[in-house]
Amino acid sequence: MSDETQLDEPRQVDAALPDGGAPAARRREAGGGARREAGGWKAARWVRRAIQIAFLVFFVYLLFAALQRRAAFPLADVFFRFDPLAAFSTMLAARQWIAHLGLAVVTVVSALVLGRVWCGWVCPLGTLLGWFRFRVARRLTPRVPPRLRGVKYVLLGVIAVMAALGSMTLLILDPIALLTRTATTSLIPGFDYVVGAVEAAFVYWGPTSGAVTWIEDHFRGTVLPVYQPHYAQGVAIFLVFLAVVLLNVFAEQFWCRYLCPLGALLGLVAKVQVLRPLVGDGCNGCNGCVRACRVGAIEPAAARAGADAGGRGEAAAARARVVTSECTMCLDCLVVCPEREAMSFGPALKPGPWAEYDPGRRQFLAAAAIGVGTVALLGTSVARAIKSPGLIRPPGAQDEGAFLSRCLRCSECMKVCPTSGLQPSLGQAGLEALWTPVLASRLGYCDYSCTACGHVCPSGAIPKLGLEDKRTRVLGVAVIDRNRCLPWASNTPCIVCQEMCPISDKAIVLSGRHLITRPDGTQDYLARPNVVPARCIGCGICEYKCPLEGTSAIVVLPSNPSLAVGGAPDGSAYPEG
Amino acid sequence: MAMEPLNRSEFLKLMALGGAGLAILGGPERALAALARADDDLDRAALDGDVAAAHAAAGTILAVARGTSAGTNTKKAIAAIGGMRKFVSSGDVVVIKPNIGHARAPKYAVDTNPSVVGTLVALARQAGAAKVVVMDNPVGSDPANCYGASGIADAVKSAGGSMHVMGSGGYKKYAIPGHLLDTHPLYAAIVNADVLINVPVAKQHGSTGLTLAGKNLMGCTSDRQRMHTLGLSQSIAEINAKLRPELTVIDATRILVRNGPSGGSLDDVKVKDTVIACKDWVAADTYATRLFGKKPGAIPYIKAAANMKLGTMDLSSLTIRVV
Repeated sequence: MSDETQLDEPRQVDAALPDGGAPAARRREAGGGARREAGGWKAARWVRRAIQIAFLVFFVYLLFAALQRRAAFPLADVFFRFDPLAAFSTMLAARQWIAHLGLAVVTVVSALVLGRVWCGWVCPLGTLLGWFRFRVARRLTPRVPPRLRGVKYVLLGVIAVMAALGSMTLLILDPIALLTRTATTSLIPGFDYVVGAVEAAFVYWGPTSGAVTWIEDHFRGTVLPVYQPHYAQGVAIFLVFLAVVLLNVFAEQFWCRYLCPLGALLGLVAKVQVLRPLVGDGCNGCNGCVRACRVGAIEPAAARAGADAGGRGEAAAARARVVTSECTMCLDCLVVCPEREAMSFGPALKPGPWAEYDPGRRQFLAAAAIGVGTVALLGTSVARAIKSPGLIRPPGAQDEGAFLSRCLRCSECMKVCPTSGLQPSLGQAGLEALWTPVLASRLGYCDYSCTACGHVCPSGAIPKLGLEDKRTRVLGVAVIDRNRCLPWASNTPCIVCQEMCPISDKAIVLSGRHLITRPDGTQDYLARPNVVPARCIGCGICEYKCPLEGTSAIVVLPSNPSLAVGGAPDGSAYPEG
Repeated sequence: MAMEPLNRSEFLKLMALGGAGLAILGGPERALAALARADDDLDRAALDGDVAAAHAAAGTILAVARGTSAGTNTKKAIAAIGGMRKFVSSGDVVVIKPNIGHARAPKYAVDTNPSVVGTLVALARQAGAAKVVVMDNPVGSDPANCYGASGIADAVKSAGGSMHVMGSGGYKKYAIPGHLLDTHPLYAAIVNADVLINVPVAKQHGSTGLTLAGKNLMGCTSDRQRMHTLGLSQSIAEINAKLRPELTVIDATRILVRNGPSGGSLDDVKVKDTVIACKDWVAADTYATRLFGKKPGAIPYIKAAANMKLGTMDLSSLTIRVV
């Protein structure tokens, strides 16, 4: 079997090739006696594919392993711990060394030695995007201006400038955060819903009901949630992800080539990468590597021959060139190169070539302007002046400024929250805090026996708390709406909020001395619930369980110290009757 | 050397061993054999009923077992009402419904005592049950957490039963006897079980006064909200009329007298070392209200159930055996 028959279909190239019409003929010509042994590189490619799949499987495993687990899962945030973009910006914004994120140094060192090996071998988003390839891209890619590659550097610059000014807003573009958030708020809930629907379709049919029972017995409560989770903005977050996938229509790995700020950071480091694919004197200018490169990181030979106008396109001058900052180290070029002497993999101490789209003064100025402007606009939002009633942060994260400068927008906490009460914010804290976690008690409460969010938070924005400590952290305070509460508004007996309150000296007490007259004339004493603000920690289980339809008659509001000290009644004001 | 406190059977075994050393005349084998026989007898009685149960007049027996071991109390109570084989036949699918509403350790008396649940699982298995499944629909945390924290998961597994998580797809709407609910969603696996054993823990509760057997079966529905808004007491009586548990065992080993049903403070817990068993849950609940010094009439859902003739509040109409 010849090498050619095993090649992937030719890939799209940034610029149109002069010999684009007859690549197959060229390659055949190049074969024969001088054919090099690509076997070793082919094996390396299989290893790379296996490792990519292993990391993706591991990522998905972590999503499910952390889900609904009470015990902190020590690996849950491991991808973020190796993510230098997350580490760099949060340490810059928080003005603090965060030891937990120190592993990111490993990734930076890997980029110094092997370039963007993270992108091509590890990143689960990169692996996924590699699987979405569109035929039409072959036609469209040459029309995408190479200068678009500069966008990712501008994004990186904006993130850095904003972080320096204390804002982490654009971390929503971190690739690991993007994928985790999408999985948490849309892919996994969607998966759960489909499983439930399929089960419902088959459970009452004899031959399949056993299988459904087996699945329920083995996976419900561990892999599958007990209740269907619902997430605010799940659709919007999914559409962002879908857009990233569909951009592949224009070019393979579009996100990785043009947009990814983490890729940009690693790309800058990779300018000096030590071990890299090298094009030697043997290059015959066939541009097979250019076609094979999934990220278009190789500049074609002919284009360079034109640039070196002095010669007549001789082989030495007309060889292809690898731009290290774009290369994701997939090694496909080494597999396809037909010449024995042409391509090798080895050390090079000279910095990689500087391409026309690489960042310069203009990009830096643009980034600075955009970064400062964005911070200025976000900082003057109304949300900074008035605390929204929906702004309930996870336990221990009540210092809003400190929280926002540390939160990676990664949604690990939402993923692990057993009640799905932690939701991606939209307006609660302004656009500045987009997709940071807020506790939406009507959707899920803060479980009194759970400390999971603090234990999976990679940056410590939500502190790691012991259970007894966490139980004393005040998230907000419950307030009863007596115009809607059943026993207050309609004399209907109900004490669900009091029943559910997990505090051992209940923060909701019943006053039982209300004499009421029923429509039939009979009289009775009715118990009515009252909040004791000094005891309430704002866990929200009362709001979640209130049996009214729609809005609860008891809601958790951001805690207001005056409620606790301003002469509000303590429990003794309500003797149980 | 620190010593763990002994439970009764360990104490007896120790005494028997010591006694055996002294009673050379009688021979150690005989002393040990007598002890083993006592254990065997209780195990056998728990399956087939004790002698008094066999000779009891026709009618319902309500058993009240007292002692420091919750497991032994359970066996004694089941023996006194005729043994587990009276309720469970060979090949039956048995569902046991404890109260596992919150993630609390057994000492807080918030969830049913794990020894009581484990003993019932073992007895049902010995009586020939094909499958013994234990489940609840916790309200204070997720099931895996509550099952683990309450100690019930471990007790059930080592007794040969299995824990089941009640997924939201497992509920079906059923026609409900009575005038209020009409139809209501209940967990199909519980409705379809051959035998349902209801094992509540006795504790204080704000809305119903106490939560005992009748209230415990509220854990079989996915729509508690509708029961609250329509009228809780009558709703509880009606779903019990549909579910009709074959056997009710009330765990009053430790009872929660304040800050129920979620508890969390040992100051609110009283030790009663009691297990109550009866096939009539209304009678069992009526008896259990005494432990809290209340009148059964003060618990509206018990009254509603008696009105629906689901059982009797008249304890003089049944045989009460304190063992």
